[in-house]
Amino acid sequence: MGNESVLEIKDVSKIYKTKGAFFGSKGKDVTALNRISFDIFKGEIFGLVGESGSGKTTAGRLIVSLEEANSGEIFLDGSEIIGLRGRKRKEFRRKVQMIFQDPYQSLNPQRSIYDTVSEPLKIHGMGNASTRKDLARETLQSVGLSPPDDFLFRYPHRLSGGQRQRVAIARAMILNPTFVIADEPTSMLDASISAQIFNILLDMRNRLGVTQMFITHSLAAARYLCDRVAVIYRGNLMEVGPAEEVISNPKHPYTQALLDAVPKFGHDRDARRYGSLLTKDRDVEEDAGCAFFPRCAAADEDRCGGKQPGLSPLNDGHLVACFRTEVTKVS
Amino acid sequence: MAMLEVENVSIGYNTKKGYLKAVERVSFTLEEGASLGFVGESGCGKTTIGMALMGLLPPNGSVREGRILFEGKNTLKMSDEEIRKIRWRKMAMIFQAAMNALNPVQRVGNQIAEAILVHDPSIGKEEAMGQVEALFELVGIPLDRLRDYPHQYSGGMKQRAVIAMSLACHPKLIIADEPTTALDVIVQAQILGEIKDLQKEFNLSIIFISHDISIVADMCKDIGVMYAGQLVEFGPREKVFESPAHPYTKALLSSFPTVTGEKSDLIPIPGETPNLVIPPSGCRFCDRCSGPGSTCKIETPDWVEIGPGHKTLCCRC
Repeated sequence: MGNESVLEIKDVSKIYKTKGAFFGSKGKDVTALNRISFDIFKGEIFGLVGESGSGKTTAGRLIVSLEEANSGEIFLDGSEIIGLRGRKRKEFRRKVQMIFQDPYQSLNPQRSIYDTVSEPLKIHGMGNASTRKDLARETLQSVGLSPPDDFLFRYPHRLSGGQRQRVAIARAMILNPTFVIADEPTSMLDASISAQIFNILLDMRNRLGVTQMFITHSLAAARYLCDRVAVIYRGNLMEVGPAEEVISNPKHPYTQALLDAVPKFGHDRDARRYGSLLTKDRDVEEDAGCAFFPRCAAADEDRCGGKQPGLSPLNDGHLVACFRTEVTKVS
Repeated sequence: MAMLEVENVSIGYNTKKGYLKAVERVSFTLEEGASLGFVGESGCGKTTIGMALMGLLPPNGSVREGRILFEGKNTLKMSDEEIRKIRWRKMAMIFQAAMNALNPVQRVGNQIAEAILVHDPSIGKEEAMGQVEALFELVGIPLDRLRDYPHQYSGGMKQRAVIAMSLACHPKLIIADEPTTALDVIVQAQILGEIKDLQKEFNLSIIFISHDISIVADMCKDIGVMYAGQLVEFGPREKVFESPAHPYTKALLSSFPTVTGEKSDLIPIPGETPNLVIPPSGCRFCDRCSGPGSTCKIETPDWVEIGPGHKTLCCRC
């Protein structure tokens, strides 16, 4: 794995305007992403970890250009993706694919598995009917739906959740994409089935070298699957670094709070406790400071409440957005 | 006498495809103040057990055999009137989807007060409201949110309100069915901590139902592992966790990723859960088992005692 970037995100912000009440007040702006920047390297699985409402899905939607950012730039293989039109946009759509969270909603119930999996080929005008069928067979086989002929002409209602998600992966993979975003692909599935899906994603990377972004709320899943992770909180990146290092040696108080919240019996009984979360949130008048300031037990009133810390490198490849780590680094 | 004794209970549902055997001959006992967790994947029957205990099975569901003794009385033989007297007053349930368990057009405080009044009409409305305030303090909802509607609450607060409602009539037994599944990890940790504190404070008995084995182990002293409608392993959490006996328990444990310890490969369980309308003969896990014996497909497995209080339903153990 080289350090060649497949995807570069620079200072991207996304603001949703909400409608006000029918009478009276105007809507408030909701900042879903606040000037985030990161790179994803060729052949790696990059984890974006955060809670609901943190902006992780928004980031995914911006990258596949289902939505447009308010400011900032996104580059795929060195070329800007915002504002692509026509043939270039279609080519971009072939190279970047997404696997959605809920396989019960992402498959059309009226289409057979063959229709679903081969449709992208038709849209992009690739192959003829017989090569498309061969390719569909091959792709189903590669996601573990075998023998593929058993599945080709079934409809989604005859498949289990795990099988549906495999179909969704096959649909994404059939175009031979360079970059795939998987948005919580296992949150609707049982543990034993999740593990199957994780292993398919790993296999896609190891065998075909597909670069992936894995969006998840689970640090444990990110640790298993990802080379590097970014932790996001309320639209701000808090910590970016090698997965193993971020999880075994978290530097941001928010990452520590996430780790503290993992149930501590059995495997995790010996886990360290950080106590980085306040028992009662601080009252904060304006959002000038760090996004985590209202809940942070380690915060310094003046500094953390007044200014937003930027992501700064702690050591090779490990970045943290916290004034506290800056202090410890100097001393 | 144990507070709750469940003996050989089998439950099924009439479906279009036939009679679905959701739970097969499950037995366990629960002492006062004890905590017991059921863990298993979707469709294993864990929620069905909870619903049967509460007498809240849907119309197409029925208990086919067995006895459920609550404080020595068989609840399956009780009339609706009799079971209504113990439901919520003596045993209460925290449902899975907190967001749907509250009435959206009624203020949260009023809903809980109403629940209290229905069960004890002798107290006045004011006293009921006073009790609601005490409950809110107990579960950590600020009192100025009493007059809010459910949509003004966050997910964690709705879950707290549902817990407050389950405690409204001072039950002795709480059945918590995936109470934190829809919540973020930090909120989940807070809610689990609160349930633990409440259990200690009121010496509650708890039955905790979850698909996540680490949560169950965190919350309960005893664990029952369920697969395809059967209890397949039962024992103290230390034993079930550290020396699991049943191949399914072992497989389940090795399919969960963790944040600590050596990073090891996850081993998925191959295949799918069996169809419970026509369950396979012999051991139900046989088709997915890593080391089945030659007789596993034919012989119905029996309980094997592994250690004190630790048993498993497996021919090979």
